[in-house]
Amino acid sequence: MSEKNFIIAGFGGQGVLLAGEVLANAFMLERKNVTWYPSYGAEMRGGTVNCEIVMSDDEVSEVNKADTDFVIALNQASFDRFLSKIKKGGWMIANSTLAKEIKTRADINYLFAPITKLAEEVGNIKMANILALGLLAKASRLVSLDTLNQALDIVIPPHRKHLLPLNLKALKIGYEYDLLPAGI
Amino acid sequence: MATECLTNKKILTKGNYAIAQAAIQAGCQCYFGYPITPQSEIGEFMSGKMQELKRGYVSAESELAAINMVIGAVSTGVKAMTSSSSCAVSLMQEALSYATADELPVVLVSVMRGGPGLGNIYPSQGDYFQATKGGGNGDYNLIVLAPSTVQECVDLTYKAFYLAQKYRNPTVLLADGLLGQMMEPVEFYDYPYPEIDTSNWALTGAKNREARIIRSYAPLADDRCVFLEKLFQKYKTIEENEVVYEEINTTDADIILVSFGSTSRNVKTAMKKLRQKGIKAGFFRPVTLYPFPSKKLQELAQKVKKFITVEVNMGQMVNDVRLAVNGVCPVELIHKGVGAPPSADAIVSKIEELL
Repeated sequence: MSEKNFIIAGFGGQGVLLAGEVLANAFMLERKNVTWYPSYGAEMRGGTVNCEIVMSDDEVSEVNKADTDFVIALNQASFDRFLSKIKKGGWMIANSTLAKEIKTRADINYLFAPITKLAEEVGNIKMANILALGLLAKASRLVSLDTLNQALDIVIPPHRKHLLPLNLKALKIGYEYDLLPAGI
Repeated sequence: MATECLTNKKILTKGNYAIAQAAIQAGCQCYFGYPITPQSEIGEFMSGKMQELKRGYVSAESELAAINMVIGAVSTGVKAMTSSSSCAVSLMQEALSYATADELPVVLVSVMRGGPGLGNIYPSQGDYFQATKGGGNGDYNLIVLAPSTVQECVDLTYKAFYLAQKYRNPTVLLADGLLGQMMEPVEFYDYPYPEIDTSNWALTGAKNREARIIRSYAPLADDRCVFLEKLFQKYKTIEENEVVYEEINTTDADIILVSFGSTSRNVKTAMKKLRQKGIKAGFFRPVTLYPFPSKKLQELAQKVKKFITVEVNMGQMVNDVRLAVNGVCPVELIHKGVGAPPSADAIVSKIEELL
């Protein structure tokens, strides 16, 4: 049985829950079983928020799992909070614009990318969440760029459809980001 | 909001939206409610959709008003519902007692959060007692259905409307904050149950027939308790016909894990992990909390060494398991007061401590 789980975390307002919804839709499109659930509470813009996505070939085995295969940390607080939860051999995908590039664990893969800065270059800082999904798709090889494109089209509501091209661009830039920059 | 998958019939949606959409497809004509986390999306969805479909939607001034509006609506024979959570469901207990006495098909969606009192907004199963034992006066039962996945939120919402009308008894869909907020792929299919004829009791205007009255008043002269006997004859029928449960690996089990609702997902995985360790564990999940699968548990008690119930509360369903087992074998409890269910590994290590 193949089952993988993902935690996406950041500030409220960074589109963490939406990115998770896009990812969950992509897995559904690829005929996987999937569960998405958010941290919810007295959340607000600027506070911390996260969601977990569990993808499985079989019935999703559990929620609130003890550890995780992938973390996308869009800020420092999320990086600090979820680093220890990553399974051996798992991935920390971190936003180096807002989190320090420190590698304290030798048993996991790190991917630091200036996600916020790259999103600004795309033309809208709000695209950081979707750009991060591009990075995840490349690093995980568990979901294709094409499926994520379709998922974006599904998730973006009609009155926001004008933002679809920019989202697709952000996804592509994330996906094409050089995972192994010179010197490593 | 619900997002549609183009390649198959599945839609990725939250439990709360799934319940609301299923209620619409079940033919719910009226929704009355007052917002409360973690189920506010139900009212939000209904506020748009019911108007669009030219059905009834009232944002009530209180939960007390909402549940009494449901009583009014279902008295006319239409399907109607309200939804709420824990401390606000407390406010509806009087009306639920009345609705059982009035024999009215009220549908209540109760999305549990932490308690007692105002408590907190995190997931909980602390209202098992509230739903199955009730806070209203007198001898009565509510039919209680407990989904464990978003798909079951759809399936059991359909069933709640059906059973409520079939037995003319208030029916509760008992979900929790985790299920309400969780998104999973679901399939909405047509309402699968026959429509129940309500014309022989509903208040539809007394033109060309005798006037009717629906009331819960049992006069003193009724010293033979005909009214209560009749009510409990109905409960007997429900207990004989409507018990639903899920069981896995129970036939050769030494220990059986019993759990309901969202918690049962992790418990099922814990059972599989125990099997991998060579421990003969089984899994049993009541889907109907009333009628409770007592008979089946009694049967299983004859050959199993121990039951362990796992709940996110301080231990409520464990009492019903103990009553069913009636001392034949031990019934232990693993629990967590509030929040998302314990992970499968955490459940496994607690069980290993108990063995």
